[in-house]
Amino acid sequence: MDSLFAKADAIRPVAKGQHGRPGKHSIKKAKAKEDTTPSDATALSVRAHTSIPRSLQPQETSASDSTPSSSKQKFNHIKNPKLRTHLTQSSSRSSHIHSLREDASLLTDALGASSGQVECDGPLERTWRLSQEDIVKEVGAEAARGRREWVLDGGPYRSRYTRNGRHLGIVGRNGHVASFDWMAGTMHSELQLKETCRDFTYLHDHTHFAVAQKKHVFIYDQNGVELHRLASHIEPSRLEFLPYHWLLASVGNTGHLVYQDTSTGALLTSLSTRLGPTLSLTQNPHSAVLYLGHTNGTLTLWTPNLSTPAVRLQAHLGGVTSVAVDASSGSAGRYVATAGMDGFVKVWDCRNWGKCVRGWAVRSGGGGGTKGGGGIEVDFSQKGFLAVVSGGSVNVYTPPTTRSPPPNSDPSSQITVSPPLYLTHPLPHRPSTSPRFSPFHDVLTVGHAAGLSSILVPGAGNPHFDSTEADPFEGRKARREREVRGLLDKLSPEMITLDASLTPGALAPPPKQTLPGGEGKVPELPYARMTRIDRLKASGKYDETGENEDPDVEMGDAEGTDGTKQEKLKEKHKMRGKSKSTKRYLRKHRKNVIDPTTVAIRAKLEKQREERRREVDVKRGIVNEDAGRKKSALDRFKRGVK
Amino acid sequence: MKIKVLQHSPTDHLPARRGDPTPTSRNLDPDMHPFARARERMRALNAAKMDRMFAKPFVAALEGHIDGVEAMARRPNSLAEVASASWDGEIIVHDIARRNHVVKIDNAHKGKISGICWSPYEENRLLSCGSDMSVKIWDTANLRDGDGDVSMEAGPSKFQKQKPVAVFNGKFAFNSIDHHRHDPIFATASSLLQVWDETKTTPISNITHPTSHESISSLRFAPSEPSVLASVGSDRTFILYDIRTSTAERRTILSFRANALSWSPTFPTTVLLASEDHNLYTFDLRQLKTPTQIYKGHVSAVMSCDWSPTGTEFVSGGWDRTVRIWKEGVGKQPEIYHTKRMQRVLSTLYSSDARYVLSGSDEGNVRIWKARASDKLAVVNTREKAAMEYRDALRERWKFDDEIGKVSRSRRIPKPVHKTHLLKHTMLDARRVKEERRRKHTRAGESKPTAERKKVVIEEQS
Repeated sequence: MDSLFAKADAIRPVAKGQHGRPGKHSIKKAKAKEDTTPSDATALSVRAHTSIPRSLQPQETSASDSTPSSSKQKFNHIKNPKLRTHLTQSSSRSSHIHSLREDASLLTDALGASSGQVECDGPLERTWRLSQEDIVKEVGAEAARGRREWVLDGGPYRSRYTRNGRHLGIVGRNGHVASFDWMAGTMHSELQLKETCRDFTYLHDHTHFAVAQKKHVFIYDQNGVELHRLASHIEPSRLEFLPYHWLLASVGNTGHLVYQDTSTGALLTSLSTRLGPTLSLTQNPHSAVLYLGHTNGTLTLWTPNLSTPAVRLQAHLGGVTSVAVDASSGSAGRYVATAGMDGFVKVWDCRNWGKCVRGWAVRSGGGGGTKGGGGIEVDFSQKGFLAVVSGGSVNVYTPPTTRSPPPNSDPSSQITVSPPLYLTHPLPHRPSTSPRFSPFHDVLTVGHAAGLSSILVPGAGNPHFDSTEADPFEGRKARREREVRGLLDKLSPEMITLDASLTPGALAPPPKQTLPGGEGKVPELPYARMTRIDRLKASGKYDETGENEDPDVEMGDAEGTDGTKQEKLKEKHKMRGKSKSTKRYLRKHRKNVIDPTTVAIRAKLEKQREERRREVDVKRGIVNEDAGRKKSALDRFKRGVK
Repeated sequence: MKIKVLQHSPTDHLPARRGDPTPTSRNLDPDMHPFARARERMRALNAAKMDRMFAKPFVAALEGHIDGVEAMARRPNSLAEVASASWDGEIIVHDIARRNHVVKIDNAHKGKISGICWSPYEENRLLSCGSDMSVKIWDTANLRDGDGDVSMEAGPSKFQKQKPVAVFNGKFAFNSIDHHRHDPIFATASSLLQVWDETKTTPISNITHPTSHESISSLRFAPSEPSVLASVGSDRTFILYDIRTSTAERRTILSFRANALSWSPTFPTTVLLASEDHNLYTFDLRQLKTPTQIYKGHVSAVMSCDWSPTGTEFVSGGWDRTVRIWKEGVGKQPEIYHTKRMQRVLSTLYSSDARYVLSGSDEGNVRIWKARASDKLAVVNTREKAAMEYRDALRERWKFDDEIGKVSRSRRIPKPVHKTHLLKHTMLDARRVKEERRRKHTRAGESKPTAERKKVVIEEQS
């Protein structure tokens, strides 16, 4: 037996004073001790000069580290514990994400392509003086493949890239639709629809696309074969596809926002905006919230779960012609740019809708009257570059200046000077529409009346793509697999909320369970542990009649002069009342059965009580003795009665 | 002015030769992966659903016995062979891979066979004991057919050859038998514990406890210390013996009697007891005052238990007609197996490779189950295996999510079992409420609640 114990002790010694599994905690303790005091001399010598990547460190230690980032923030001064916990959690989460991002950038920058840029030699050189010819000459023909001019009839044209940036779809106002692989230079399909076409969007990948036509939305496949006519989308003007929820959304002249599930074909919901024709539509890719711009200058944010807009904002004095959401790393859906018929471009911070961060008037904008061509249009690139198309030119601005108010500006005025220009390019034909940056390339495509122009914007595209999300070089098998996986991982539309946009990269933590009575309530006992009375009450079987009857107390109340005296009287009378035999009988028989004798006694008591109350009233002279009572036959013999 | 435009080189992103896989690239920036957590949750939900969808644990039923199968034993150094013995006195050695009978001994004993074990000392030797007060040793090599298969319609001439190698006669009906790990010694349990030498006709020692007159229901040798023996008996006792000194070293009286016991194959002092009070207990012999873990789940007496060879899981069979598979140290929500025709489960066994579980039940069938309900039995290629492991990790990570936890926890339970479960809980609740009321109305501090763990052992003697 002893040898048996010795063998066991060698594996795991028995823990003293422990009921559970022996030795389990002792091992943990030993490990913790090791962590605090490393005995390894080599590790000690190396430790000073090395560090584990911050993303691999445990989250709480990284939060308590002495890093100068926001992780050090303390919220001890906040009194509300709920808010304090929320702030602490969100700040630690954001610092964790920050460190993740730093590590990721370290890893990705080391390999693959590097992003484009323009390097100035001296302080007097201006990047906006560069023309496209200069850029093409400088970078060479191979790198300048993105620079194209498509001369087409039936404009103005709108365009849209797939999420991997390889395929480009264009639609002309008069019904010319084409979808092609612009990198390989092969055409997938070309259609002449011969009716007004207002917008174009690819669905989950380039094999399906939707066109907003004169009356309805139509879905075509890669070869241009019409697959579906979506009759519930009436007179659509703008389309948007939510790739993770597989939802196609359209807005139109009727002012309805229609969501349709493209994986099942079901119409999810049709929301009436009640704001008239909608001019612009865009999505926030981080939260799947849709941003709508209306003719009266209102910007509204919609989720399919609310029948009213989640946010409603008077953004411009004229109609909102274009909305763009900055999905780049620095912003992650936080900054929104809008352009209006009033000739202004405004950049908003979604955490504070009260005032725009920067707004400026566009020189040749406003003209919006031309048929089919709107006013100013805006788009953000993957790196946060802002393209503004207005009148006869396209201007590109770079991120930090677009998001911050200009130095030495009057803080009270919303409209300031425009941010420093990065690039500009004159467009040959008016009206010009639809700037679109190509994902993972330094290319910007702008449509105009006589076709489309693609220009080079060095530094606009993200050089590092992720093959699980979007890969410009993916083959047929990879595309098929991604389609199936996308369907399996399809998110339900109920998950679309506005709150997710505030905490990018992470879902909001689930709300703590609260009791129906509200916070601060003592949690209820389980049913089995309640007292019998409580259990009867909970199941609704408790007989509550005869519970609050205390006639003597009422009488005492009437006689009392002030509150304290009343209290005393109450107690006293209660004691006295208890000893009454009838009441004792009733108390003893307070069962959950309606017994005829108890009911009768109760009725009798009630009658007596009424009688007594009446007597008191008569004595005080409040009521006449005969008032309210039915006359009996014997009353005629009373003295003094006529 | 230096200008550079982003350019992806096709050589990095396109396959070098025709037929090569396309190279993939990664960007770990969380902003490149919108809805990453939501999508992972959806994948975890799908993984949980797929796990339940593929959960088809029943593999096969091995027929052959006419009456209840009370004892089973896996053959040492063999993955496939398992011996089973039934109440009609029949022994069958099954090949669970081919699902046929290797050896079939009719009328091995008169009346029921209550214990069976393989001899590690000599290969092919099988020991059986029964209520006919005898222990028999069989040489299965001689009984085996040429092709390793015994046809069901074997003629009577065949049975004449089925003679045991040795017969030992006792004075009482035997309840259980186990063989020493490397000596020709075996022990039997009846109203007293006897240790036998294979070469002698009488027991070499009779071990009794001075104050006990019980019948011992089960006994097992400790795997790591072969001279130590443990037994459970009708007197609610759990006794440890040393056969070198021929004494009962420790005696523990439990609140309810245990029906079966099993030694952990990996930890020397851990013993599992299958108790009559619907629970299983693991004890550390160094601390016999309290069990290390109570395993609650059965709704009737637990009749048998067996550890997996890995020592991380064990199986139990109960009077409630279910087989349950437990993780060591996790006292609730076991995996539950049942079929319509399976009656009281009298014996359970893990296979030697820990992939299967065997159950022998009252109606005479030996059933093979998968140890993991959603295991794939076919050959699994590397990508499939990686996908399975990813799904397992996802389920583990998201098990605290309401929806996912519900999918992976919920089991369809037979209605009688469920009703009994509800009834049992009502009774336990009532008992607890009564106890609480009693405590409430006694003087403060007079009576304190006793931990469940401390109620198990009534007395320790040594």
